[in-house]
Amino acid sequence: MAESEPLIGIDLGTTNSIVATVQDGQPVVIKNRTGQALTPSVVAVSKNGKRLVGGIAKRQAITNPQETVYAAKRLIGRKFSSHEVQDALRSLPYAVVAGQHDDLRIRMGGKDLSVPEISAMILQELKADAEAHFGRPVSKAVITVPAYFNDAQRQATKDAGRIAGLDVLRIINEPTAAALAYGFGRTVNGRVAVLDLGGGTFDVSVLEINQGVFDVVGTGGDTYLGGEDWDNRIIEWLVFGFAKEHGIDLRKDRMALQRLKDAAEKAKVELSSVRESQINLPFISTPPGGGAALHLNATLTRDKLDDLTSDLAERVVGITTEVLGEAGVRPSELKEVILVGGMSRMPRIVEAVRGYFRREPCKGVHPEEVVALGAAIQAHALAGQESELLLLDVTPQSLGVAIAGGFVRRIIPKNTTVPTSATEVFATSKDFQRVVKIMVLQGEHEMAQQNELLGEFVLTGLREALRGQVEIEVTFDINAEGIVSVSAKDRETALRQSITVTASSGLTEEELKRIMEEQREYLMAARLSDELKAKRVELDTLARDVVDALTRARLLPGGGGLAVDVMPRAEQALDHARRVRDAEDVGALGRACELLSGCLTQLRAPAQGGARR
Amino acid sequence: MSPQRANQLIEAGLWLRLSGDHQGAQKLFERALQLDPGNTRAREYLEGAGVAQGASPFPAPPTEPVRAQVLGRMTPVAAPSLEGDWGAWAEGQGGPEEANPWKTPAPVYLPEDGGDGGRVDALELLSREDESEPEVFSLPESDTQEYGVPPEGDTQEYGVPAGDSELDLLLRGAEDLLELDDHSGAVDLLFKAQELAPGDPRVEALRQRSERMLMAMLESKLGDLGRVPRVRLQADDIIWLNLDHRAGFVLAQIDGSVTYEDLFALSGMTRLDTARILAQLLDEGVISAG
Repeated sequence: MAESEPLIGIDLGTTNSIVATVQDGQPVVIKNRTGQALTPSVVAVSKNGKRLVGGIAKRQAITNPQETVYAAKRLIGRKFSSHEVQDALRSLPYAVVAGQHDDLRIRMGGKDLSVPEISAMILQELKADAEAHFGRPVSKAVITVPAYFNDAQRQATKDAGRIAGLDVLRIINEPTAAALAYGFGRTVNGRVAVLDLGGGTFDVSVLEINQGVFDVVGTGGDTYLGGEDWDNRIIEWLVFGFAKEHGIDLRKDRMALQRLKDAAEKAKVELSSVRESQINLPFISTPPGGGAALHLNATLTRDKLDDLTSDLAERVVGITTEVLGEAGVRPSELKEVILVGGMSRMPRIVEAVRGYFRREPCKGVHPEEVVALGAAIQAHALAGQESELLLLDVTPQSLGVAIAGGFVRRIIPKNTTVPTSATEVFATSKDFQRVVKIMVLQGEHEMAQQNELLGEFVLTGLREALRGQVEIEVTFDINAEGIVSVSAKDRETALRQSITVTASSGLTEEELKRIMEEQREYLMAARLSDELKAKRVELDTLARDVVDALTRARLLPGGGGLAVDVMPRAEQALDHARRVRDAEDVGALGRACELLSGCLTQLRAPAQGGARR
Repeated sequence: MSPQRANQLIEAGLWLRLSGDHQGAQKLFERALQLDPGNTRAREYLEGAGVAQGASPFPAPPTEPVRAQVLGRMTPVAAPSLEGDWGAWAEGQGGPEEANPWKTPAPVYLPEDGGDGGRVDALELLSREDESEPEVFSLPESDTQEYGVPPEGDTQEYGVPAGDSELDLLLRGAEDLLELDDHSGAVDLLFKAQELAPGDPRVEALRQRSERMLMAMLESKLGDLGRVPRVRLQADDIIWLNLDHRAGFVLAQIDGSVTYEDLFALSGMTRLDTARILAQLLDEGVISAG
């Protein structure tokens, strides 16, 4: 029997992404092809036009800022006009432009790309890592998103998966995945807090687990608080020390800044396990007046780092308090507290959390891998082997309609399992009202304006009557694919209007198809150009060897005992190689290589003492 | 005339040396000494260069770089079809010996109508430019004046349309340096020429050609670009090297996992600059080819 197709779980993060799978019943992280568990969520186009993804893209982020896209997750599925995007624009070095339908495009390598396309590049990389691990194609995945993501953001993430050639089985919440990884679906009934402090964002979620069903009770956090803030404090400290000693501001030099950033992150990571870290950056700067380049040497202790970042740790506690307060949950009510994300390796953070909750938080050996492992467990469960762990697909946010006074009437509350349907009866709010406008909203805020408008339509031809006398029946229907249809019916006349709302990532189906087509072409071209390059290198090496061998043969009296035709044939082969070298034809290059290597054998044969004549 | 020419060559040599091209510099110093055997500066710099290299605790591997330098002359008895350099035409270009429109023997000096007495050539231009890198000239300003170089901005006095003539000079200078097999210097000159006349097809053609040559030479020195270079020295030894911050940056990126090709992408510099630095690090034995 053929082995079943491998399934993967992907934690598509703001700063780092991870892919995991379940093997022999155990969830395991799949290391990327450079041997790392984490793949930075960074893509770039280098100066020579090459697409870079992951670690290599991150390492050139500062020296090539305009062409390096990071933290695309902050932008995915959002509208250009939204304040989140406008806020983000102020701090992003890469160019973001408005798309055709208030979506946004990122300019990279002279092309305007949608955010799902950017995310797809990262997913593609993870997919390739998984394929390298399994040694066969991988196409099915579960991807995680923050609990607060709305439909558009989830759909955009799904689209990214499709562009990357993945069949996205399910989008699940990151805190849910973390809880799954700890097996809480089976062992815990009650409330659980998940604190996820990653590279760029801090998410706090409160989950209610009941017989294996996960409800999101409250979410919150700060999308601009993460490990990078800790790095920046170290950079500031280093820059300040260097300025004091040499009077040079290293921040003005991109190369120096890139090295500082790498060194700061490394020191931060080290200080989670040791108490002192050496930072050595030789030749970091050439003084303006000329002279020998200067070195930066510093010793950072854990105490000093805690000192530099104490306010950040306080913010972690402050935000947690806030979210729990909003959800109406007391710390003592919680059954468990889970710490997720690379930053929870930091002793100071663990201490702060322990102090606040007055209990030991769950923190695995690799807290940054937990979400991906949970996603893998879910993917595995979806394949049918362990149905007890199957998460139900739920509506992530409430759905409702706008009512008089600018308020929202919720019709389907969040966390309702789909498929579902609900009906409510409304009455006209004005005398002699002939027309009613139905605005379909998504979100938790009671003011209509603060929610996402999914769509609107108008029901006309109502009977003229005093307000409150005409009744309209509004029905929401969500099918298993998450497609929402809303209809409104005049109860007396049975006149009916309806719309179907599909979550839109900002990309239309046609755009998506075109992008997927382009992706396929890109991958084909990339594979072809890799092959061409490899063949050319082979050809060049062989040609040099043949030239060498020919030269040697000419210097020897009588051609070193070669057959008469060997040398002219080698020259011909070289000539041929020269002609085909620049053609984009792998086959021709291969044949030229064979020809050359044949000549080489003949040229070298007498030298090895075995004249074959 | 010879001493003047020799001094110009020395200036150019110093310039090259500071931009990291020691071999090119040495060649120019040697040529200067040929022209003006009594030139003490040339002798000094030549000896200085030797001492500096000898003093380096990490002498260059003896044979490899030399081989790369004379790549084009590797096949002295070759049939015509083999003449020239595989690396060069491998880059989509004829060998150095064939089809070079600028191959006329080094017309270094400005034609007579070029000015009233100011025999200016490219090397002079070279020797007086570039305030941005003040360390380039260890000589006081007055020294430069001695050679009859007009002060900055005075070119107009000579009644020469500044852009054009400088451009011609730079082009000739570049040919001159190519003649000396100094592609590195030629590229620098042409880069300058390009700033003067952006988009000039002659400059563009010559620059592309010499860059390609240089790149091919450097790449053949680096070998397979898919290989992973490694740092050979301990951190404690590295700080005693004589590197600038750009070389320091490239060196810092070499961590035993990135390939040469990755480094080109990482450096934030042009491919050529990166290749030059890598070749230099390799030459000085700081890194191993992998």
